[in-house]
Amino acid sequence: MSQLFSNITHSFNTTVSHNFTIADERSQILAWLSPLEPRLRHQDVRDRRVEEIGEWLLQTEEFRSWCVGNEGGELDNVALFCYGDPGVGKTFIR
Amino acid sequence: MLTICDISSLVIDRLCDRARWQNAAVACFYFDFSAQKEQPSASMLGALLKQVVGGLEEVPEELSQAYEDQRKVIGGRGPGLSDISKMLHTASSERLTFICIDAMDECAPEHRVKILDSLHEILRKSPGVRIFMTGRPHVRAEIGKRLAGRVASIAITPRKDDVIGYLRTRLKEDTNPDAMDSTLEADILRKIPEDVSEMYVEAMTLEKLRQVIH
Repeated sequence: MSQLFSNITHSFNTTVSHNFTIADERSQILAWLSPLEPRLRHQDVRDRRVEEIGEWLLQTEEFRSWCVGNEGGELDNVALFCYGDPGVGKTFIR
Repeated sequence: MLTICDISSLVIDRLCDRARWQNAAVACFYFDFSAQKEQPSASMLGALLKQVVGGLEEVPEELSQAYEDQRKVIGGRGPGLSDISKMLHTASSERLTFICIDAMDECAPEHRVKILDSLHEILRKSPGVRIFMTGRPHVRAEIGKRLAGRVASIAITPRKDDVIGYLRTRLKEDTNPDAMDSTLEADILRKIPEDVSEMYVEAMTLEKLRQVIH
């Protein structure tokens, strides 16, 4: 019985350390790809964003046809560029 | 009130919501003029690749092999632009992939050329890739040219709904609730948007809004 228990513990430890190695290697590879963390900047911008602002953009024909997958064959405009002054309306009302 | 990077973050959030039930990938990047030196093309595209790969169950063989190979070099070195480009193409060829880039105009011009050319190559090879970009109007022509005209454009200007949304939020946060009754709120929401113009620019506070109404 104690032999069996010892085996189980042993295999459990092996599995755990094996998973750790994989997770560790994975994060090392990802860190190697780039030191930059754009998701952090995204969190920051989104926390300051006012609800509902810009919703109209998501309803435009251009946006809708852009983000539909590949249904209905080849899509011409695979890229969408939204242009304006970076602070458009920023000083409009404070 | 409405900034272009708000638009980017809104689009990214909505695409992430969609991606959950659609098995799509979303990768984003925000260019920043003050951080140009830290945002060269390889690190930027590497950051996109990192997000696409981060959503996969397993790291692609091609990528772990490239990582192992460079470890043999003394001191190791980061992946090159063309390798990253190739791997980004491989990682995005299996499923719908949204790439969102904020403030293309704030990227150093020599890096912008390389990034747009790499993205064009990826678009050409992977039909499931969609690219969303924002920026000042002066980079519009360059983007159109580098991506071989496969770009639709939308001008971002504050809309009536944006002003209403913004005012609602501000009114909710009003620290002087007694001064604001529902009639006055309705008046403000009705009147101000009709008067949207550059006339109102600069430092409009709720106090001033009340004065405008009365």
